[in-house]
Amino acid sequence: MKTPVPVLRLPRGPDHPDSRGFDPSSPRFQALRSTRGGAAAAAAGLPELREEQQARSLLRQRYLRSLLAMRDAQVRFRMYERVHVEARFGASDIDVLNFQVSDLQTPIGVQKEALLRCPDMISYSLEL
Amino acid sequence: HSAPTRVACTVAGGTVLCRGGRLLTMAMRQTPLTCSGHTRPVVDLAFSGITPYGYFLISACKDGKPMLRQGDTGDWIGTFLGHKGAVWGATLNKEATKAATAAADFTAKVWDAVTGDETLTLAHKHIVKTVHFTQDSIYLLTGGNDKVLRVFDLSKPEADPQEFTGHTSAIKKALWCNSDKQILSAADDKTVRLWDRNTMEVLKTLSFDVSVSSMEYIPDGEILVITYGKTIAFYNALSLELIKTVDAPASIHSASLHPEKDFFVAGGDDFKLYKYDYSTKEELESYKGHFGPVHCVRFSPDGELYASGSEDGTLRLWQTAVGKTYGLWKCVLPEELVSENSDTLYCNTPEIKA
Repeated sequence: MKTPVPVLRLPRGPDHPDSRGFDPSSPRFQALRSTRGGAAAAAAGLPELREEQQARSLLRQRYLRSLLAMRDAQVRFRMYERVHVEARFGASDIDVLNFQVSDLQTPIGVQKEALLRCPDMISYSLEL
Repeated sequence: HSAPTRVACTVAGGTVLCRGGRLLTMAMRQTPLTCSGHTRPVVDLAFSGITPYGYFLISACKDGKPMLRQGDTGDWIGTFLGHKGAVWGATLNKEATKAATAAADFTAKVWDAVTGDETLTLAHKHIVKTVHFTQDSIYLLTGGNDKVLRVFDLSKPEADPQEFTGHTSAIKKALWCNSDKQILSAADDKTVRLWDRNTMEVLKTLSFDVSVSSMEYIPDGEILVITYGKTIAFYNALSLELIKTVDAPASIHSASLHPEKDFFVAGGDDFKLYKYDYSTKEELESYKGHFGPVHCVRFSPDGELYASGSEDGTLRLWQTAVGKTYGLWKCVLPEELVSENSDTLYCNTPEIKA
């Protein structure tokens, strides 16, 4: 007997039958609106704070997408105590405190599976 | 290890799991995701390319209100409001920043796909059926019941379009091909014609016994997918030489080839979606789900899912690898299905309507 594939939720539909949509607060709208001139969403309250929040959320989104793009890539990590290692990136935990990697090349051998602590990292680099 | 390790690959519609060193196969049943919102038949659909915000899907509907959705989840983003008749064709540019629609109100419209605003209305002399952007999004190709192909320069909207005459019946589908140097058109005159964009002459013609129901162009590999009657045919898009044909159990309205060219899917009159192996032509799976004939089917740009539009007014998303975690589908182990968190997963309702 086959089990149906579970789903997280159903696709969202229009709010109501004549709804137009195209939410001006969506990240894509915010990011691309400068090319459209005359933003409809005039900020109520402190414009600078709103702008900073928008920039923050855009940068955060970009970072999360970079983590997705890193999957299965060879990444070089620069850690404290002059440690340099290279591994195949798997995933990050939700708080970006640990990175799950495979085939971690260390001075004492290759570790098939490992968790790297993000607070131990200074920087990491890869080629896209 | 006591906890099972999940291997996220599928073998002929099943999910392979490894527990304590032993391989188990758990056969999983495809759960199509239904996107509702349209109130009349969905007659055309198109995906954008992959953008920094994912990829998108546009659907053309006889209710005159084409919709934009997030491609991997089917979530509704917006509806392009403005047409006064059935929308027969819809397309997105690669970046999903522009949309174009072809309608029964004798116009083709260009839209801003980020804000939903209408940017241009292009008047025609009859029902417009098909629209397609060039790679640079500067030119729009249109075709319809007046039998004429038109190329509009979107940077000069007031200028007259280039007109390609020759077809003797209504044009159903027109596409740019060969790096936008050529145009392919399919019409009710039972021909598919290849035109040179600059000289405007017909370079090649394919003739059929019946009208072609759909056409898809795969630039990477220069493959043309044509459907007519119960046949799905694959041609070399440059030479128009036949590569192979496959016959389905029912009349087919649309087919799509996977980006990696290992599968193709087709749908038509019997309401089912068929999945075939492209190399062996073997029918791998068939899926029921729609309550009406399937009018259009397309693979997503990453090949992970395919979308179908039907007479029943819905769009459905189907997984290419059934059971894989992707979009709204979640790969789970048997124990997880009955855990205390199981009420957050829909797993026992095969017919789900949003």
